[in-house]
Amino acid sequence: MTTPTGQNAATSDADLLSAYAGGDMDAAAVLTGRLLPHVLGQATRMLNDQAEAEDVAQEALMRLWKVAPDWRLGEAKVSTWLYRVTANLCTDRLRKRRNVPLDQVAEPIDPTNSVVTQLQENARMTALSDALSELPERQAQAVSLRHLEGLSNPEIGQIMQISLRSVESLTARGKRALTQILQGRKAELGYEDEI
Amino acid sequence: MKSEPDMIETLFAESRAQAPTVSDDLLARVLADAAQMQPRPVPAPTLWAAMLDLIGGWPSVGGLAVAGVAGIWVGFAPPTSVSTWTEDLIGTPVSIDLLGDGTDYFAEGFADG
Repeated sequence: MTTPTGQNAATSDADLLSAYAGGDMDAAAVLTGRLLPHVLGQATRMLNDQAEAEDVAQEALMRLWKVAPDWRLGEAKVSTWLYRVTANLCTDRLRKRRNVPLDQVAEPIDPTNSVVTQLQENARMTALSDALSELPERQAQAVSLRHLEGLSNPEIGQIMQISLRSVESLTARGKRALTQILQGRKAELGYEDEI
Repeated sequence: MKSEPDMIETLFAESRAQAPTVSDDLLARVLADAAQMQPRPVPAPTLWAAMLDLIGGWPSVGGLAVAGVAGIWVGFAPPTSVSTWTEDLIGTPVSIDLLGDGTDYFAEGFADG
């Protein structure tokens, strides 16, 4: 697809950001279409709350628009930067959630699923998100980037600006801690009946 | 029954399978932010604006104008204190007649017609 100002699928995110900073709103529209679903997905997987995830996605993109004039081409990938910003915004929210009783956490319902299945699945995702909120922030970020976003360790190292050894250590300790937190909730999450 | 490692892997897989759709409302909010945050293009400065900028803007122009007028005024009508000070500094003023005495003759000639 080519926009009226000439951007297409081959145009890099950084070039689009530069075009936006230079006054091209079409570039912002293309960039939003490309990045917003990923940012919203990451926030949804970490928070399991639609309203909160949308707020985080909007805030992350807002920060991108703000840095656009100072973005230096070739220095960092826009997607890497956004992963970092989104992870930080999500762990901020998870930290605040530690003091909120579980029954106050919103539970969005998807009308396309049966109510029971949806409730069960939502309970699992909420349990995962709450368990993430109990981890130290760096562990929660590393685990979510590795296991919820499916990124490689070198990618996580770039996003979190840490060494590969640190990534391995954080993800291993985080995953162990998550397993411990969730092991007592198997029946509650509907895993007792499964083979 | 699932073991703990299986359970956590299943949870991760279920989480990864989530693909939230971007609502029209969110899209509109993000694009509105983009429009609001977009840097305004800065027009190229004119020669006059560049010169003004070079000397420090309008306050400097005002200062230069006052200093200029004051200098001209002091040149035409120096206050007594200034004359006294310059005499003290460089001595008594000396007047030199560059044309010499012959000018009196010519002046008389002009006066007589």
